Formats: sequence, structure tokens, C-alpha cells
Amino acid sequence: MSKTKRRSVLKLAGGAAAASMGGMAGILASGRTPAYAQQKTVHWLKWVDFVPATDQMFNKEMMPAAEKALGIKIKLETVNGNDLQPRITSGIQSGAGPDLIMSFNSYTHLYANSVVDLSELAEDVGKREGGIYKYARAICSDGRMFMGMPWAVIGGMIAYRKSWFDEAGISKFPDTWESYRDAAKKLKAKGQPFGQTLGHTFGDAPGFTYPYLWSWGGKEVEADGKTVVLNTKETIESVKFMQGLWKDGMDEGGLAWDDTNNNRAFLSQTISATLNGASIYIETLRKPDQYKTAAGKPMNTDILHAPLPKGPAGQFGFHLLQSNMLMKYSKNQDAAKEFLKYLHTEANYRKFFESQKGFATPCTVKWESDKLWDVDPVMTPYKVAAKLGQAPGFAGPPNAKAQEGLSKYIITDMYAKAVQGMPAEDSVKWAESELKKIYSA
Amino acid sequence: MIEGAAWRRWVFYNIPLILFVFVLLFPFYWMIITTFRPDGELYLPWNAKNYQPFWTNNPTLEHIKYLFEETSFARWMLNTMFIALVSTVISLFCGVLAGYALARLNFPYAGSLGTVIFITYLVPQTLLFIPLAQIIRNFELGDTPWSLILTYPTFLIPFCTWLMMGYFKAIPKELEECARIDGASRWKAMLYIIIPVAVPGILSSGIIAFTLSWNEFIYALVFLSSPDQKTVPVGVTSELIRGDVFFWGPLMAGALLGSIPVAIVYSFFVEHYVSGLTGSVKG
Amino acid sequence: MAVTAVSGLEVRRPTPRLRRLEDERWLALALLMPTAILLGLFIAYPFFEGVLLSMTSQRVGVPGEFVGLQNFVKVWNDSIFRTTVWNTFWYTGVTTVFKLALGLWLAMLLNRHFKGKALIRAFILLPFIIPTVLSTFAWKWMFDPTFSVINWTLFQLGFISQRINWLGDPDLAMTSIIVVNIWRGVPFFAISLLAGLQTISPELNEAAAIDGARPWNRFWYVTWPLLLPVTMVVMLFSVIQTFADFQLVYVMTGGGPANATHLFATYAYQLGIGTGLLSEGAAISLAMFPFLFIIVVVQLIYIRRVETR
Repeated sequence: MSKTKRRSVLKLAGGAAAASMGGMAGILASGRTPAYAQQKTVHWLKWVDFVPATDQMFNKEMMPAAEKALGIKIKLETVNGNDLQPRITSGIQSGAGPDLIMSFNSYTHLYANSVVDLSELAEDVGKREGGIYKYARAICSDGRMFMGMPWAVIGGMIAYRKSWFDEAGISKFPDTWESYRDAAKKLKAKGQPFGQTLGHTFGDAPGFTYPYLWSWGGKEVEADGKTVVLNTKETIESVKFMQGLWKDGMDEGGLAWDDTNNNRAFLSQTISATLNGASIYIETLRKPDQYKTAAGKPMNTDILHAPLPKGPAGQFGFHLLQSNMLMKYSKNQDAAKEFLKYLHTEANYRKFFESQKGFATPCTVKWESDKLWDVDPVMTPYKVAAKLGQAPGFAGPPNAKAQEGLSKYIITDMYAKAVQGMPAEDSVKWAESELKKIYSA
Repeated sequence: MIEGAAWRRWVFYNIPLILFVFVLLFPFYWMIITTFRPDGELYLPWNAKNYQPFWTNNPTLEHIKYLFEETSFARWMLNTMFIALVSTVISLFCGVLAGYALARLNFPYAGSLGTVIFITYLVPQTLLFIPLAQIIRNFELGDTPWSLILTYPTFLIPFCTWLMMGYFKAIPKELEECARIDGASRWKAMLYIIIPVAVPGILSSGIIAFTLSWNEFIYALVFLSSPDQKTVPVGVTSELIRGDVFFWGPLMAGALLGSIPVAIVYSFFVEHYVSGLTGSVKG
Repeated sequence: MAVTAVSGLEVRRPTPRLRRLEDERWLALALLMPTAILLGLFIAYPFFEGVLLSMTSQRVGVPGEFVGLQNFVKVWNDSIFRTTVWNTFWYTGVTTVFKLALGLWLAMLLNRHFKGKALIRAFILLPFIIPTVLSTFAWKWMFDPTFSVINWTLFQLGFISQRINWLGDPDLAMTSIIVVNIWRGVPFFAISLLAGLQTISPELNEAAAIDGARPWNRFWYVTWPLLLPVTMVVMLFSVIQTFADFQLVYVMTGGGPANATHLFATYAYQLGIGTGLLSEGAAISLAMFPFLFIIVVVQLIYIRRVETR
């Protein structure tokens, strides 16, 4: 049946309401500007920024300025990060949705068929700003096209309460997993456990489990990107260690946590250390009177950041890469490209960078030496997040298959299951078989 | 039951009843209290000292303000109201007609058609949402209220039909026949005699359909995307989880205010709702 | 037909019998047309599309090709899917039993006259009326790992000294969603069963009492059989809705921790819309159908038997 015939059938059948709402009334009811309107609208969907100041800056200053400068209407929408993927799927499936969508990690590879090539803009910005980091390039480009315009890297570090560690006799943050576990045990005994999520959430869970796995020498696939090698002695050892670590030192509610729970737990002083972006620290800076230590001092003077501890195979970090994809179904591709260009001009991008206060690390080299990093020594560790990041799918490329493994939370679940009682060998075997299904398809 | 001493009445009837009512209504009380409680009092861990969870001495409107200023909550309410009303009207229209046909008219396959309509209940929304999304796209209804207005009747019509069937069956045939004798066509008889008598049934189906529309989630979640197109359940779920800082205040405010319209409409039609519910179950 | 027979008056109809029959059929067709079109377009059509989709390898943005039953095989070998099947059956079974028992009890408590009965009846339906998503958020807040008011209360009463990990422990998470589902469903059962109870004439019970029957026997041999038809219908509705549940789990746990509370619908959503594996998601959704079908047929047969007793 052709579209028009369907429409007329609907009109016959639908009864009064459906049939009468054509034309102007229908447009008003649907709330969409009709195609012949003068102004183009660009709809940008991004995550709700963990630094509220940035979204406020966007909404109140940059979007109105952009509208004036480019002569278009801009609709900025923010959703919970976990909801980006469903929105992308719905958008592609229903052929309508935001023009620009922020993507995490290798979504760019997953949705390569449904996005517009942004190489021109990416290479331009890269040249201007000293080059795009290898990490960002590997994730946003497959060699032939740029599926996403690299935006920023959200570094993950361990935020911890200096005074509590001092009281427990630990003067430096532990830098090996063994000393980490000992510290956690000591502090949990005092009612101040460490906290980590092992739930199905895009940020903190993989941010911990992947580098943890790598630091023990475990990996998902070989460099050929095909052979799944998860089930090794190293991986099993890492799982066993995690089981002990969880019981001895972690807040056991962590299995149900999403990316916000550890923040709240830390801020309400029920945990002493957690892997997170810098949002906990930034929140205490925002509201120094609300967050005070037991001694009455503002909590932000008691927070320090440290990278994840070393394991037998080294020290790693998995930092969330954010990029913006321009969707093929968009009817305003030129306007959207102009808008992206506008966002990436030095003056505007700097506004973003400074509002983040170091929470986000840009994907190009020149920002690493920016003086913002020296303003607050507590934030300085974050400046190398984009340089040192390693992506899921190691040792293979961070492609669609790697993203699928990440989206299915296989590695996180491997640890979650073990912590809930499954023998380490079994959970590793399970994870490996799940990965094999993905990589052999 | 034979009433005995007062203590028996209390132990066997009143106390259990009070417990039931308490458990059933407590979450709503919790919603209310959280909505009006300032952030400082909200985030105290479960074993903190000086924690007084069940009352607050410093009620605040900051969460409600946040709700209306930082999200399109008012718009969501309008959307949901509009969608629910139009879907209800469509479903009543179809349900009344179909119910009449199945209850009063003789025609081949009447019985099996009734069964077919019943079978549609075996195909819940969660079974259809993925292919339906594609169909919605082909009709270019994605991200508009029409994607819901046209699909909600799929689970409202069967219910309305059964209910109306029950009501129509209860109307004596003589009523119609008198009209027919006086020369009215079947159609006119239906319109002027039967339907007015079936008004209670229509009200019952209407109020139940209305509450069911407000309660729908997965179609709204998958077919809508722009913030100003969303319905209240979807909006509250997706836009009040803001980053990794506190949000429970506005969230409960959204839950509370989102529940109020339904509760108010329901309160005007309680009797009809109850008789509709029980009618459908007995019929 | 009675019309022509009764009064012998002239009816203004050209050709009586034949015309009326056609009239009826034509009218029936017209009356059923809107329903048929809407249901056909938005239930039958997507159902078949869904079946076709589940037999391809389509994913978002990639049309894929025909692969027969491969998705179903893949899904059957998926350990998460098997957990999901078990979860759904367990969830549906436990909640239905409790909803029935508690609903029946509440119905019996309400089946007498007392002041404020109408008000109470109106209030207790609230959990069922209020949109599930919104009331589930209230429960989620009540179960929050760090700030749970339930934990606070139990702690104050001295029942616990360690926090109860409602949503973080797999078994407790399942218990939590079961509790919320029961909370939501009891009013529906109670009001429906109350209506059923009210159709049972009290004389029956009194007669049995006079004959010396004890309360439990009175219930089992007099009340229960008369209540059975209503009970079966209520259970049928409830089972279908619970089996296909999505909203409650989506809000409370998202299927976690580690897939311990995934149901068919939430897993289909996670795979189909979340990860974009549309055809596999469709396969999981469709997998509900045979189970639903069997459950419904069994219950319908049982209802028939009860009614013809």
C-alpha cells in the first residue's frame, strides 16, 4: 500500500479526531514546525552534564548567541547518559529525531551506517589545535570517515577523603591493588568503606572494570581483533581478587548503584573513596556550606584525586570519550554542520572547557598545556586523560564489536556475578562465551 | 460472619484493614513528604542520627519550582492529557459500536469475532513495540502525539468493547423493538434509545480507558523523543535523572504532580470505575 | 423476530425479512469497521512484521538479511535469556499467588457495612490508578541503598543493624519488585473479588453455619466455588499483564543487578533499543507469545469447566 492510500484509510477509520486534524490544526497539535518555515532548527541531544554549570552556560549564553550568529533555531536537549543509546536507536528507527546526537565511546562504530562523514571538520580542528589524540581518532574514525566529531574525554580518577586516610595511617593513596585492598579493609572496619558500582551503567562501572582487567594482564581479544582470549589465568586471578576486595573493603550496595549513587554516598560521607569523574569534587566546590567534614571544614579541602592502582601488568585507565554524530536522517545537515563548527571555534570551545573546570579533557593536544590545569592542583591529574586513555576491545580496535561487548556489560557482569557468589572460573567462562558470540558473528 | 465481642472485631477486621490501608497509601505519603522537604534534610543516610524522616518542619517549594522551570513538565501534562482524552474518545467510539454489534446483532462469525478481539489481549504492547516503531516511521508519525493516539486504542478498545457488550446485553430487547415499531431504523434506535441508556457503561469505560492511557509507558518511550512531545511518565523518567547529583526532590514532585490529574478525574467517577472494573470481570 | 409479529402494525420497511438481515449484516460491518481497521493496522500488521523481523539479522541502520530461526537459536543459547525466562515465571507466579491471597483477604474485610466504606474503597484503588512509573519511583526512593526509609524504620525498631541491600542483592532485588507488583495489584484483586463476594447471598453462608460448618469449611465449600469464575477472570488479566510487565522493572532496577530481575520485556528493550539489535529484541518479545498463549488457553479451559459445573 502506498503512503497516501494508508493515510486515506486511516482517515476513514480513525473517527472524527484523527480525520479532522490535517493542515494547520494538525501542525499545531504535533508541535513541529512545518517544512516551509523560514528558520531551520538544529536539535542537539547531549547527556545531562555532570557539571551543571556547563549546561546552564549552554542554555543561557551559548545557545542564544549561536542562534543569533547563525540565524537558526537551536534546540538543546539533555538526557541521562544511559538513555543516549535507546534514543539513537529510536531516532534511526523512526527516521526522525535529533540532528546531532552525542555519542559515547564506540557508538560511532556501531552506528556508522546512519551518520554523516565529518572528516572535514575534524581534520580542520585537529590541524588548528596541534593534532587529535590517537585515542580519540581510533574511536571516532574507521580510517575512511569520521563517524563522530570528537568532543571531550571524561577522565575517571579515584576521589578520596584525605583526612580519613590519614587517620587510618595511610599517608599516600595506595598504588598497588594489594595495598588498595588493605586500605579498603582498614577503612571499612571503621565504617568508611570504598564504594564502586558494578551495575549496568555507562560510566563508573566500565571505567573501573576494564582498566582493572587490563592491569592484571587480562584482555578481551588479540590485536587481530578476532581471537577472543578472555579466559586466561590472569583474568581469573583478577576476578578472585575482586571477590575478596568486594567483601573486605567495598560498600556492598554497589551492585545496585548507577553513576549517581557513588556521588551521593561520597557526599553524604558513607564511603571514603570511589572512582569517578571530577563531579564529586566540583559539587563540593559549588556548595561549600552544604558539604562539611566532621571537623566543620568544607569537604573540598579534604578531597584528592589519584589514578587507579597498578596491577601486575601495569596501570591503565578507561576514560569515556564523547563525540557528536550528525545523523543521516537529519533534514538540516548543513545547518547542523555550521553549528558544530561554531561550537568548536576556539572562543566557544574554551567557554565549554572552562565551565568544566577540568572535568572534561579536550581531544586535541594544545589544551593539555592550558593554564586551567594549574589553577587547582586537585584537578591536575585529569589533564592527561585523553592522552593515556585505552579503549574497550583491547587489544583489538575499539570498533562496533567492542562497543557491543561494552553495551552488553559483559566485563562488568563478569565481576558482578563473581562477587555475588559465582566461582571465578565460571564467570570468566561465561563472559568469554558471550564475547565469542559477538566476535564470531 | 457472626459479630462477636468488640475485641474480635478489632483483631480480625479493623486492625488488618488499617494495616492494608496504611501499606497501600504510605508510598504516596512518602511522595508528598519528599516533594516538600529541602535537600539538606533529604539526603541523610538511613542510620544517621537526628533523622526525622516522616515529617519536616521546613517545607519548601524549591523542588516544584525546579520541576517547572528546568523541565517542560507543564508541556508533558498537556501532552498526556491531550493524548489520553483523544485516545479515550476514539476507543469509546469504536468500543460502543463494536460492543453493540457483538451484543445485539446477529451475523455470521459474531462469536468468533468476539474471541478475536479477546485474543488481541494476548499481544501486549511489550511484544509489539519493536516492529510497531518501524510502522510508525513508515507512516511518518514518529515523535508526534498521533503515534500514541492511534496506537493506544489497540489496548483500550477490547476492554471498552467487552464492557459495553455487558451493558448492552443487559438492556432489554423490548426497548429497541418499541422504537422499531414506531418506525425508527436500526441505526436510529441504537442512537437515540440504546446509547442514552448505556451512559453509565460509557462513563465506566471512559474513566478506565483514561487511566489506562496515563499509565502507558513503552510506546511513549520508544515513539517519542523531543522533550516537548513527551508524556509525563516518560518525561519524569528521562529528564529528571540529571547527571550524578541530587534529583529525588524534583523527581518526587514530578511523580506527585503527575499523579494528581488522574487521581482527581478518578475521584469524580469512582463508582463508575468500580462498576466498570467489576463488570468486565463478571461479564 | 418479534417485531413483525407483535402488533401487526404496518412497518415502514420495503421487503421485511431479507432486507432486515442484510441491514443487520451491513450495519454490523459498519459498526465493526473502525475497530477492525485500528486493530488490524496496529496489532495484526506489526505482529506479522515482528515475526518477519525476528527472522532477519536486522540491526539499527543495517537492513540485514533473512536468517530463518537463527535468532531464536541464538537467544535460546543465551544464558541471560534463560535467566530472564526463569525470572519472568517466578515473578508472575509469586506475585499472582500473593495478590490473590491478600486481595481475597482484603475483599472479605471490606465485605460488610461500616462507616467510611465508600471512602476507603476509593482510596485503596489508588495504587492501581496512579501511573505505575510514578508510584514505582516512590518505592525506588524508599528502597534506596543509602537513604532507605524502610531501613531507617527497621533500624530504629532494632530489627536490623546492617543495612538491607534491597536493590543491590539479586534475590532481594527480585523480592523488591515482587513487593511493588503485589502492592499495585492487590487493590485490583480486592475490588473485583469484593464484587464477586457481594453476589453471593449471605443466606448460603448462614445456612451452612446453622448446619454446623466451621468458618474455614464454609469458605472452602460455599464461598470459594461461587467465587471461582470471577477469580479466574481476574487472574487471567493479571497474569497476562504481569508476564508482559516492563515499567516496574525498568524503573526499579533496569533488569539488574547483573540481570537478576530482567523480564522478557526489559531484556527485549535492552537488546533491541538499547544495543540496537532489533531482530534479536523482536525474537525475545515474540518468545513471550507461546507462553502467554498456553497460559491463556489453560485458564480459559478451566473457566469453561467451572462455568459449566
